[in-house]
Formats: sequence, C-alpha cells, structure tokens
Amino acid sequence: MTAAPFFTYSRTALQRLFDWKVRGVRWIEIIGVALVAVMIVSVYAAKAAAARESSRIAQLEQDIRENGQRVRLLRAEVARLEQPARLENLSRQIGMGPVEIHRQAEEAQLPELKPVPASSTPVSAQPAPVETAPEDAAVAPETAQ
Amino acid sequence: MSVQDHRYHRPAPGVDLQGRLSPFWRGLSELVWRLEHGFERARADARPEEDTRVRIFLILIVFSCVFAGLALGASYKALFGAAGGRWAGGNPNALVRGDLTDRNGELLAINIVHYGLYLDPAEVWNRDLAYRQLRRALPRIPATRLRKVLDGERRLIVLNGLTPQEKAAVHDLALGGVTFEPEDRRAYPLGTSAVHLIGDADTGGQGISGAELAFDSEIRAAGQRGEAFPLSIDLRVQGVLENELAAAAIQHQAKGAVGIVTDVQTGEVLGMASWPNFTQADRGAAPDGATLNRAVSGHYEMGSVFKTFTVAAGLDTGRADMSTLFDASEAFQIGDRKIKDFHAQNRVMTLEEVYLHSSNIGTSQLAVQMGPDTMRDYFRRLGLLDAAGIELKESARPVLPRRWDNSTLASLSFGYGIMITPAQMVQAMGALTNGGRMMPLSLRRGGARGAQPQQIVTEETSRAVLELMRANVVRGSGGFADAPGLRVGGKTGSANKLVNGRYDPSHALGSFAAVFPVDGPLTAKRYAIFVLMDEPGTYPKTGAYVAAPAVRNIADRIAGFLGVERRADRWRTATGEKVAEYQDVQGDGL
Repeated sequence: MTAAPFFTYSRTALQRLFDWKVRGVRWIEIIGVALVAVMIVSVYAAKAAAARESSRIAQLEQDIRENGQRVRLLRAEVARLEQPARLENLSRQIGMGPVEIHRQAEEAQLPELKPVPASSTPVSAQPAPVETAPEDAAVAPETAQ
Repeated sequence: MSVQDHRYHRPAPGVDLQGRLSPFWRGLSELVWRLEHGFERARADARPEEDTRVRIFLILIVFSCVFAGLALGASYKALFGAAGGRWAGGNPNALVRGDLTDRNGELLAINIVHYGLYLDPAEVWNRDLAYRQLRRALPRIPATRLRKVLDGERRLIVLNGLTPQEKAAVHDLALGGVTFEPEDRRAYPLGTSAVHLIGDADTGGQGISGAELAFDSEIRAAGQRGEAFPLSIDLRVQGVLENELAAAAIQHQAKGAVGIVTDVQTGEVLGMASWPNFTQADRGAAPDGATLNRAVSGHYEMGSVFKTFTVAAGLDTGRADMSTLFDASEAFQIGDRKIKDFHAQNRVMTLEEVYLHSSNIGTSQLAVQMGPDTMRDYFRRLGLLDAAGIELKESARPVLPRRWDNSTLASLSFGYGIMITPAQMVQAMGALTNGGRMMPLSLRRGGARGAQPQQIVTEETSRAVLELMRANVVRGSGGFADAPGLRVGGKTGSANKLVNGRYDPSHALGSFAAVFPVDGPLTAKRYAIFVLMDEPGTYPKTGAYVAAPAVRNIADRIAGFLGVERRADRWRTATGEKVAEYQDVQGDGL
C-alpha cells in the first residue's frame, strides 16, 4: 500500500504530459518530430562533410602514391648516375685518378708536414707570462711602441 | 463467431495431430494457442483493456531492444571501428618485391611502375597518321604488331614495359583509343655493375638468378612491408673491384676474370665481380659466356695458391714447422712422374722457403708424407670438397679427383687435379686467416644467418699462415701486391689449363689470393681479396704479373672505405718504403 501513491502520482504526471495538447495535437509529439527533424539535418550535414573529407583523403593518397612513384623513379636515376664505377670512368676521362700515397696525409700529420713557424707565434715562445696574464701580454707591445 | 467456454481447460486443436511429436512441440502450440486466445480470455475475465496494453508494451520492449541494439552497434562502429578502414588496403608502400640495396642503402634493384600500351582501333580517327605518329614517338615499337592491332577489331596490347618517359611521349600525341595500364617492373639502375651478383627477376616478380633468386622469398616479404632488402656488398668496393678488374683483364688480354672481396671475420662478401659483364636490359645481346658468374660457377685448377692449404695442413697436423727441411735439390719422383719446380732453387729448403719460392717439390713431399686421409680431411674442413656456402643458387660444386693416390696428392698440393670455384677459394682463405674459423660466405648483411663457425685449424696455424703470406709479399713472389702501408699478405697462383688432354702453357691462369692487414690480433678487422685472370694473352702469364698488381690497386683504393689505416710494419713504412734498419741477420725471416 505504501508504493501505491507513488505509482498513482507518476502515472498522473505521465497522463498530464500526454494530455498536454495544442489544437488537438500532443506537444510531446510535436517535440518528438522536431527532434527527429534536427537529427536528420545534422546527420545529413555530418555525412556530407565526411564524404567531402574522404574524397579529399583519397585525392591526397593518390597524390602520395604518384609522388612516391616519382621519387622511386628519381632514386633509380640517382643510383644510375651516382654509381661508383661510372663516376670513376668519368673522372678518369678528365684526367683524374687515385691520390698518390705520398700526397696523402692525415690530420695528425699536419704539424710534421709543415712545422708551425716560430716567429709568428711569440705567444708559444714565451708561455709563462701568457698563462699568468694573457691580457697584459697582448697589450704590452703596443704601449711600448 | 464460435462460442466457447474458456474457463476450463480444453486441449488445443492440432494437439491430436502432433500427438506423436515431442512434448516441446506440444508446449509450443499450446503457448501459441493461449496467446491467440488471450484477448478473448481477458475479455471474458472482464479485464480487456489491461490485456491489450500488455501486448502493446511487450511489442514496444521488443522493438526498443532491437533499435537500441542497432544504435549501439552503429555507434560502436562509428567510434571504435578500424580507423580509416576504407583506405587501409594493406601497406600503401607495399611492393611485389622490395628494393635491393647494398650494405649502406645504395640502390641495386628497384621496382618501378612501367606501362603497357593498349590500342583500340575503333576509336582511332586516322589509322595511318596514328601509325606514323606512334612510330616516331616510340621507335622501338614493333611495326608489324602495331599495324596488326591498328587493322584489327578489338582493343589489344601493343607493347609492354613503357618507361614513364615513353608513356609521356605517347600520351602527348593526344591520340584517341590509346590507353595505358600500369605494370610493376624490376629495374636495375646500375647497368653492368654487380650484374651477376644481383641477378634478375621475371615480369611476374619471381627471382630467376643471382641474389634475386637466392633471397626471393625474403625480398618479397620485405616488399610487402614496404622495406628494402640489404645485401652485404659495398657498392664503392664493388665499383673499385669492377673497374680495376676490367682494366687488368683488358691490359692482359684475358678471356675472363674474377674478383672477390670479403670480410674474413664475418664471411660477408663486400664485392664480387665477373668479367666480361653485360646489362640485364640486353641480356640477349651479351657476349658468349658473359652471363656466367665466374666467381661462383667457374671451375678452375687454381695452381700454387693451394700451397697455402697444404702448408697450413702440414703445420696444423704438427708434421712440419717453419724450419722443417725439404729436399728440393732434384725432381721428386712418384712412379714414373717427375715433379719439378717452376723457379728451381735446387737446394734443401725450409718450409717457409718452400712457400716463398713456391716449390712444387716441397709441397708434394709434404702432401705425400701426410697421406690421403689427412689431406682429404683438411680439404673437407677447408670446404674444398663441397660447393661454397654462399646463398647464390649458382654456387657450383667442385670437380674432385677420382683417386687419392700419391701422384694425385702431389698434384693437389700445388693446386692441380681439383677444380674449385673462386668463391670456395676465398672462403678457405678467410678461414685460414681469421683464427681458423670456417665462416660460410654470405651476401646477407651481417653474414650468414645462424652460422655455427667451426674451428678447422688452430689459432697458431692461422697466425703462421698470416706470417707466411706477408713474408711472401715482402720477400717472395707477391711483391706487386704490396699496397703501401696496408700490410698485404698473399699467395700467387699460376696454372696451365688442360687443353686436349695436356697442360698447355699458352692457356694459363694467373691468380692472387690476398689478405690485409695481416697484423693485429686474429680477430681484428681483416679483408680478403682474390683476383683471377683466365687465359691472359700477354707474357708473363703468372699470377704475380697478371693478378697481383690488380690486388694492390684494389687494396689501395678500398682501404679508405673499409677504415683500414696505413701503418708501418717491420718490413715497410706506412708509405711503402723498405725499412732500412731491418736486416735479416739470421735469415729466418723474423
């Protein structure tokens, strides 16, 4: 018996909702139709936009494929032009050849090939004052003159 | 309208008919009957409106459930379905065959879209004009085929394999009835470079020779993933090898030539060249024998390079050491056969001198002392009795002696009586110079997959062989191979070829098997170079003159690519001059 009033109330509320009419048409139906209309329009808009996007994607993919093909073609061309055997033949045609052993040197050998001239480096000749006061050492000759 | 009393149970009609069926059917038909007559029953119970509503409510629930299910399914698909499922038709970069590259990613072979030219004569406005224009735009188009298609009725293919440039040229004619269909084709941009090694694939995408055949399934799998398949070769090394080999072959008027460069520690092939060569595009026009990959399919009696194997076997068994003496003062008699020396010293020699003076007498004596079982065992360990372990399907089996008697053993000891491929030679040299591990040759970057290297000789033997090879370049027959500062070691090989049953000095073969640098620990970076000149036309025809200079040039030029620094050793300075202070006082070469 305790549950009965609730059902009665809810039932009457629902009843009132369905009885709420304008010119004999239930409001609830008008609202429903309006919602359906809004949904149809929005779904249509979304689908149209998606179709546009997908055709754009397809276009881009096509472009990528074509560019990919061109890149592959160009890579093949580069490989043909840059092959070491071909480059060597071309270099030999213009009189180039492998560097003779005595004309090859490594970075570490540079001082020994051409010793650093002593006169142009007074700094290294007198290391002690430079280390203690490099600023003064640089300024001193000018003031003396 | 029938009047029935529903207040007490009556059996449903049809029950009698289905009486013999299962109780399930009876229950079902009763349920249907009850539902059908429920309305009447309810009205009879004076609760008609309630019963109608129950039915409407039930139907409502069923429909709601169905629609809710549909809505959920649709939402799920829209939100969590495979993203871009419509476009993701596999990997967009997928190819029938992956690109082949060298170890540094330089292209060797690539799939490029070519086009088939189709012609529909019904849409051609002026057939004669179309014929002339097509012939001018595409001179290689076959005239008879084009004429036949133009005079025909149906759309037919005129020509396969148009390059994109050719397609553009035809397309620019703006002819009616001309259509193109793409076809995936294998292209070899390098032309003659590494042509034997790379091989060929047919129009169906199947590898038919070379690496294309050897790694066919892996190249296809790489293509499906949109990746490239790297080989072990280094295109820079390959380029140097090919040019130096061709230069030497032309200079010495050789019939054929082979050059191989490998990494002895991993067995990787860095370069492999066979001369003369050809291009895949006009394979049909290749000169006779040019399509043969001599490096793996050519059989040669190698000559004195085999002395390295004999000496290594002698050292490894302990039957000889560097100072063991061999009497080479007179010819070595086996039955009625006399074995003589090419550069006869006519004296008693140590094993080292036997090697440095390339004494047939000395190695024959050693081989006969060791006997057939030991020799066969070492030849087997060195892989000389079986095809080289390289992946190429062209890799040929050697031609072996039928008997292993003393005369054969003597021949084998200096490289006659057995015909092996250059690849086997390099593989064996590699095993002797990397500490004694037999590494199968491989064209796979990183070496053969899952290779279990076998220890075939001791590390001491390997070290001794390296010493001997270096000594042979500094003081023996291999002087022309000494690339400055690269510590090259090697052994010359010179052999006469069997022509009409006898060994003919005018049909000779010169080879040089080198390793550099020989110093450093046994596991240090070390490379083998093998050059072979088949039937050189100039004199002298020995390996020291026809092959060793090519080896020096190759080593000289590839050292930079391989990161081998020029350094002095105890015989030569880093720039190749003799070390003046060094005097071999004891005469023991140390």
